[in-house]
Amino acid sequence: MDKTLTSFIATLRNADVRISPAETLDALNAVELTGYRDREFLKNTLALVLPKTADEKDTYDTTFEQFFKFAEVAGETTSSISIDDEEGEGDGEGQGQGDGQGGSAGQTNPSNSKRKSRPRFSAAGEEDQEKEEDLGDGEMSNPVSTLGKLLMQDSRVELSVQMADAAKEVNLDEIQVFTQKGLYTRRIMDQMGLADLLKEISALKQSFNMPDRRLAQELKRRQDFLREQVRDYVERQFLLHADATGMRLREELLRKVKLSNVEHRNFRLIQEIVYRMAKKLVTMHSQRKKVFKRGTLNVPRTLRRNMSYDGHIFDLQWKSVKVDRPKVFAVCDVSGSVSNYARFMLMFLYALEEVMPKVRSFAFSSDLAEVTELFERNKIEDAISKTLRDFGGGSTDYGQALVDFKKKCLDDVDNRTTIIILGDARNNYGDCKQDILQEIYQRSKRVIWLNPEPRNTWNTGDAEMRKYTPYVHQAEECNSLMHLERTVGNLLKSVQ
Amino acid sequence: MTDIQKLAESVDSLKDSFEDHRYICSNQIATAVYLAYHLRKPVLIEGPPGVGKTELAKTTADMFALPLIRLQCYEGLDEAKAIYEWKYGKQLLYTQVLKETLDEVLQGATGFRESVNRLHEFGDIFFSEEFMEPRPLLKALQEEDGCVLLIDEVDKSDHEFESLLLEILSDFQVSIPEIGTVKARAEPPMVFLTSNNTREISDALKRRCLHLYIPFPDVDLEQKIIHARVPEIPPQLRTQLVNFIQELRDMDLKKVPAISETIDWARTLLLLHTESLDPELVRETLNVILKFQEDIDNIDHEISTLTQKAISAN
Repeated sequence: MDKTLTSFIATLRNADVRISPAETLDALNAVELTGYRDREFLKNTLALVLPKTADEKDTYDTTFEQFFKFAEVAGETTSSISIDDEEGEGDGEGQGQGDGQGGSAGQTNPSNSKRKSRPRFSAAGEEDQEKEEDLGDGEMSNPVSTLGKLLMQDSRVELSVQMADAAKEVNLDEIQVFTQKGLYTRRIMDQMGLADLLKEISALKQSFNMPDRRLAQELKRRQDFLREQVRDYVERQFLLHADATGMRLREELLRKVKLSNVEHRNFRLIQEIVYRMAKKLVTMHSQRKKVFKRGTLNVPRTLRRNMSYDGHIFDLQWKSVKVDRPKVFAVCDVSGSVSNYARFMLMFLYALEEVMPKVRSFAFSSDLAEVTELFERNKIEDAISKTLRDFGGGSTDYGQALVDFKKKCLDDVDNRTTIIILGDARNNYGDCKQDILQEIYQRSKRVIWLNPEPRNTWNTGDAEMRKYTPYVHQAEECNSLMHLERTVGNLLKSVQ
Repeated sequence: MTDIQKLAESVDSLKDSFEDHRYICSNQIATAVYLAYHLRKPVLIEGPPGVGKTELAKTTADMFALPLIRLQCYEGLDEAKAIYEWKYGKQLLYTQVLKETLDEVLQGATGFRESVNRLHEFGDIFFSEEFMEPRPLLKALQEEDGCVLLIDEVDKSDHEFESLLLEILSDFQVSIPEIGTVKARAEPPMVFLTSNNTREISDALKRRCLHLYIPFPDVDLEQKIIHARVPEIPPQLRTQLVNFIQELRDMDLKKVPAISETIDWARTLLLLHTESLDPELVRETLNVILKFQEDIDNIDHEISTLTQKAISAN
């Protein structure tokens, strides 16, 4: 039974519920206490031990239903058989146990179920064979191929055991995308000896012997039934194992894909990734911050202070580190070509609220405006779309934007300010006003220019990076979530 | 002791007993207490404010007839306030008093080395249990017959404090440098931690706990709760007000009403001798369930529709 549990846990992990080995042990202990009898009880129990956030609980619920639904499907076939030879307990209880055990074993744990079902099966098999010999002469001949024999045995238990074995053989658990479902169905059938069966069927069909032809018909029918079964099985395994893997694959891709190419339908997913990345950065940096704040014992001051208490050290004095409030200004080009990048960078910056010092954000295409307040009042997503709607769309004029910036808030820029400019520096051949950037550069702690274009196109056409780069501390290519994560991580390191 | 064992024999008996103590719980909650008792694991309870997280710990203590030791967390809580502190005043006082006897102690000792050696013979008297002030966590470990330890709103404390909790949660012991490790007496405490999710609790802490999430109750459960808490309220009004609250929870509010608000409202309506909800009455008593003027303003024009719905829903 432990194996069932571990495979359930593996499935949960696959669905992005993080479970440590220690929690696995807890689960084993808990199940030892509660047993598998009561499905709801089991669900409640494991829900306490395994998932540890509200989100994970939701995932857990669906996964549990899926995983142990299996159990019920297979359980139908086993429970009728197994009650007499396995559990001779009270009716209701026996049924429950049969359900749970037979089911989970049949699906996920072929070796276990083999052990259980084989002895009784062989007995049944003999019976069947006897019967078949009696009747078979008149009506049907005996199948020769292994799969044919198996199909004619009328044992769904044995069938599902074989199916699970075959699935293991062809590595069904490696299935990743739904298009592979057909392929795996075929492979499992092949593994179970489909070729031989087909040969036999076609041979039987040729025969003039009535029983042979009858058998051919029956075998064909049962083969179709088997295909249904296998397809179902693959489908369920896919849902359990691959759905999450596919998702992860997609996330992995999204991390690397150019943000301007992200389709609208993936925005939600990206948002989640951004939050997750942000959370990682938050945990990394929030701990550091605490250490900085505390400071150490100021021995001389403590001694001086406590002289009046006859030298007894009463009143401890700490060297407090003065935490100055660093500032981050984000200046984003929100014109058509770069708006998507601006969207995700703003999302990232505001998702970091917890550890990020105060962020002021500005958006421009031709004129520059401060949008900080917009972000304070609205949800991040709303604020971003409002920003893009109100300020995006014009033709870019970096010179004008810099002039505006100077007018609006150059006075607020001091040596603790980090300024991030996001844009492609395509100025439509206008005046660059790089002297203003120089001024900003001299006053601020750090100016970072993030350019979504690849480095070799930075100076082509109307792009003016050449004129701006001398006045920034750091110019980076930044066009995917991975780049963003790295940049923001570095930023956090430098501002704290 | 046997009483507790009998109570904790099965989830159902726990549930019944909770009901006897006027705490209506779902199977999930009863299972949590059952596992906590049998596996000796702390329970981390999360959920929106006002769903009865703290109440669960209190009722458990009540039910098992164990003392409840409560540690309210806040920013800046440290080990001096949570585990133990030396009684500095007592230490100082004693040194002052003992100054005179110092000569006796050092009698006959000549030279610095010998005096110090003589003093060493006395050991660390000043750092023994007599001079220690146990704080909630240590106190919980020292209880002879076990107790219920409630660590309330653990999300309000700092990251460091969380780490401090790890030892006591996994092994039921604390290490005190001057004394050594203090282990729980015969019966380790049942520990409940509550969190409002104002920040993520660290994985290390979560790993050591059973994790119970208490959501807002569904209609039936809430009805039962109101019935248990405000038994005098007529059934018809009870249905109506629970329906109304459930409607409110679906709306876009700054703070949705929790169970505690429902109970308060039920009491209020009872006090006003209400028979049935009507819009005017709802409007007048709305400030019992909604705690932001903004929310009250927002639903003001929908009150009559909501009331109508609540009345006709059953």
